[in-house]
Amino acid sequence: MTTVDGRHTIDREAERIAYKPPEIRHDTQGDLSTEERVEHAMHHFVKNFNTQTASYLDGCLHCGMCADACHYHVRTDDPRYTPIWKIELFKQAYKREVGPFAFFYRLFGFKKKVTIKQLEEWQHLLYDSCTVCGRCSLVCPMGIDIAGMVSMARHGMFKAGLIPHELHETAKKAAETGSPLGVTAEKFEDRLEWMADEHDVEIPVDVEQADVLACMSSIEIQKYPESMAATARILNAAGESWTFRTDGFEATNFGMLSGNTEWQKEATLKLINAAVKIGAKTVVLPECGHAYMAMRWMGANMYGKPLPFKVLHISEYLADALNAGKIKVKKVDKSVTYHDPCQVSRRGGATKAARDVLKHLGVDHREMKYGGDYNWCCGGGGGVVTIKRADELRHRVFKLKMDQVEATEADELLSSCANCRQSFDDSQEHFGWKYKMGSLMEMVAENLEEDNS
Amino acid sequence: MKNKPTVGEILQAKGVSRRGFLKYCATTASLLALPPAMIPRIAKAIESARRPSVIWLSFQECTGCTESLTRSAAPTVEGLIFDAISLDYHHTLQAASGDQAEAARHAAMEENEGGYLVLVDGSIPMGNPGFSTIAGISNYDMLMETVAGAAAVVSIGTCAAFGGIPGANPNPTGAVSVGDLVKDKPIINVPGCPPIPMVMTAVLTQFLTFGQLPEVDKYGRPLAFFGQTIHDRCYRRPFYEQGKFANTFDDEGAKAGWCLYKLGCKGPTTYNACATVKWNQGTSFPIESGHPCLGCSEPDFWDKGGFYEPLSTGNFGSGAKVAGAAAAGVALGAVAAVAGRRRQAKYTKEA
Amino acid sequence: MDLLEFARGPALQWAAYILVAGTIWRIVGIVLLEKKPDYSEPRKSGGYPAAIKVIWTRAFTAEPFAKATLYPKMMAYVMHIGLFAVIFLFTPHIVFFEGWTGFDWPGLPNSVIFFIGVATLVSGVALLVRRLTNPVLKLISNFDDYFSWFVTLLPVVTGLLIPVRALFRYEDLLAIHILSVALLLIWLPFGKLGHTFLVFVTRGTTGMVFERRGAKT
Repeated sequence: MTTVDGRHTIDREAERIAYKPPEIRHDTQGDLSTEERVEHAMHHFVKNFNTQTASYLDGCLHCGMCADACHYHVRTDDPRYTPIWKIELFKQAYKREVGPFAFFYRLFGFKKKVTIKQLEEWQHLLYDSCTVCGRCSLVCPMGIDIAGMVSMARHGMFKAGLIPHELHETAKKAAETGSPLGVTAEKFEDRLEWMADEHDVEIPVDVEQADVLACMSSIEIQKYPESMAATARILNAAGESWTFRTDGFEATNFGMLSGNTEWQKEATLKLINAAVKIGAKTVVLPECGHAYMAMRWMGANMYGKPLPFKVLHISEYLADALNAGKIKVKKVDKSVTYHDPCQVSRRGGATKAARDVLKHLGVDHREMKYGGDYNWCCGGGGGVVTIKRADELRHRVFKLKMDQVEATEADELLSSCANCRQSFDDSQEHFGWKYKMGSLMEMVAENLEEDNS
Repeated sequence: MKNKPTVGEILQAKGVSRRGFLKYCATTASLLALPPAMIPRIAKAIESARRPSVIWLSFQECTGCTESLTRSAAPTVEGLIFDAISLDYHHTLQAASGDQAEAARHAAMEENEGGYLVLVDGSIPMGNPGFSTIAGISNYDMLMETVAGAAAVVSIGTCAAFGGIPGANPNPTGAVSVGDLVKDKPIINVPGCPPIPMVMTAVLTQFLTFGQLPEVDKYGRPLAFFGQTIHDRCYRRPFYEQGKFANTFDDEGAKAGWCLYKLGCKGPTTYNACATVKWNQGTSFPIESGHPCLGCSEPDFWDKGGFYEPLSTGNFGSGAKVAGAAAAGVALGAVAAVAGRRRQAKYTKEA
Repeated sequence: MDLLEFARGPALQWAAYILVAGTIWRIVGIVLLEKKPDYSEPRKSGGYPAAIKVIWTRAFTAEPFAKATLYPKMMAYVMHIGLFAVIFLFTPHIVFFEGWTGFDWPGLPNSVIFFIGVATLVSGVALLVRRLTNPVLKLISNFDDYFSWFVTLLPVVTGLLIPVRALFRYEDLLAIHILSVALLLIWLPFGKLGHTFLVFVTRGTTGMVFERRGAKT
């Protein structure tokens, strides 16, 4: 199904320190003809045009300020990484097909049809070099949400079969097995059992009726399994009626990241259905940024009506529980800096939650300069961390993050996103960096005053 | 004609002193932007010039131009210069009338064939020859007949120069200017409603002095008098630059003598010498009296918007038409949106 | 009909008709496209107050971006404020608007306006130079950017030349000035100058979408 072009093979072992402009490797999926690819791309670009996107695409002034907000441009000075340029094809399709003056654009040929060559070139721009972090959306004097449109442009790229090989494989695995890392229901149960034993904690699974549905990101299940135990200890301590469900535990959504709306919907509905089935009042999302975007803000729209439950990111849940006194924590005598996951803070609006939690923990919270909503992205969001060929670029932009963290001189670095954690760990290893990212939730779990309840 | 007295002799006979005469020559030289060295030449030329024959034709006019020349309170050198010309025909001023008058015109034309000046005030009705006749002769016929043997034609006043008020919209008589009809003679336009007397005499002086007509602008006006706008030479110009304007005719700004721009002053687009030469023996000019310039020396001044409408006032068209444009915009936008949605649907079907 | 009359009459009128029709065309063309309902549970009330908030706040760059965008932002401020001043605070223009709307307001002295006009022109040229030299802007710019620059600054240049009598007669330059304004008005709704009205739509949209999420706008 997916083929890697022979010119630039996937090389996982190559040196990744010195920057040179990445050679663009075009990956293709399926046996579509060139014309079909273009048609599919156009179709799924065009599908996204509505009043909101139209006002954005008509509003751009070409001022170029978004380039100054984008870590890819800031670290490379490559003008192609200007955020608005990344959606140039999307814009081109809009002006030619749907905009108010589309007739004239077509009549006089001001905007040409998107070509296969352009699409191939933009694969690198729409995937490898955009984490959908939305920092550009904040600098735009017209208030254009560029990041949102990168996600939409990916719909066309996916349908044209023109997305990076690894991201496609990951998304496909997620669609086929229910987890991007191939975590099946059995495997999930196994690992829950292991953690329950290891940490001596009760973990309810597949309870028929519960107020709270907890879910996980496969990255946590596979790489940071302690998260499962930590989640359980916190929810137990709070005295919640809660459960994990083997028929709906995966909170990540690679359908969304790769641009496949059907897969996105499938993954979202699976979780929603599980929650509805047990009559959950709240779905607590794990430490995962894009899961929050997918369920908190896009979930109801996939469902086609308002959700019958509340959706909380774990940091929001923790803040609420601590503020309400449902759980209590011991003071932690450390200095901590917190990395905001873009989709939770900047784009999700839950910036304050993590800060409340840190306050309860009594740590010396050192805000990064331009932290919070203006945080530099970890460089791994938007599925970029899965794309091997983008590693070199990702490590290059990570330098910004390192500087930002180091300037705080904090003892510990925390975040609340397993995807961030994964890309931090990768870069940490790559650079031999002194900071190892920790989890906000795990710090809470470790310092619970459990006998209190 | 041979024994006609020279202009100098006539002036002397009229009691004009040598000093007064030279002063006139100096003023004329400066008005004509000639170097001071030319003053003696002007004096000499005027003194020795034989009285040129002038035929004055009045068509569709109000006699204001003639008034302007003749109503001076005290006799002036300019007035005397006019006395010094041989005004052989001017039906308002001459004693003769009817056939006698016409005979005088014909006599002057014959005697001075090719050398006489024709001064015209008033416009010529082309709608119907009967709209304006003199001694049964239509204005058109009289003009064409008279200019045939003329050395040059001077259009006195805006009506003769540009059609003026008779030619104003809707122009019921089909009035046209002299320049519209006479194509084969040099024409000098001395517009104004009325023109400044000094300007008229200066033009004649130059003709007498050099035997040639002055340099003119694109409207045939002597550049010496019509080279600058009223606004450029207006003593209230500093107020314009400071943004100090009279808003009504009785406000503080008006009393303080501020710029009349907002009251419709046409000074910036009007080329004339009022601000420098002034009127009534140099007493003042309209702006100095507190009234905005009407722009009377410009073509079609009567039809260039209201006299009290400020100059820059453009016209965005009627509210109804703007509303029409808005409705068209709604329609076009709706069509565009429908077309866009169809396009989306079409793509959805194809793929 | 001479040039000035043409400029002040039909040229300006048609420009106004096209401006009105084009502006509404563009807005309606956008507004009548599909609107996706948002079923997600809002964190904060969004709506029009949020739209108005962002329309205002996006006039200023957030502090983290201030340094990087200082130069173009300053130039853009000078140009926009300068354009505002020369359009709305120059007495002959006020007189024009008064004739049209019946309202008038105090203006600035002409010498001050002249200075502001020069500053506007200088900032415009600075922005063009930046567009021609900055790699990002070179890449993303198209005909619209350059033509819009041209039609915006042409009235400024012709306006500034009016008091300089050396080359043209006042009314010829006035006519050219008004014609250049007509050109600006005609182009305004169709190209990127549409941001004069789209800025409200675009910023407002973001305000409504993101404020209800409680996210940074």
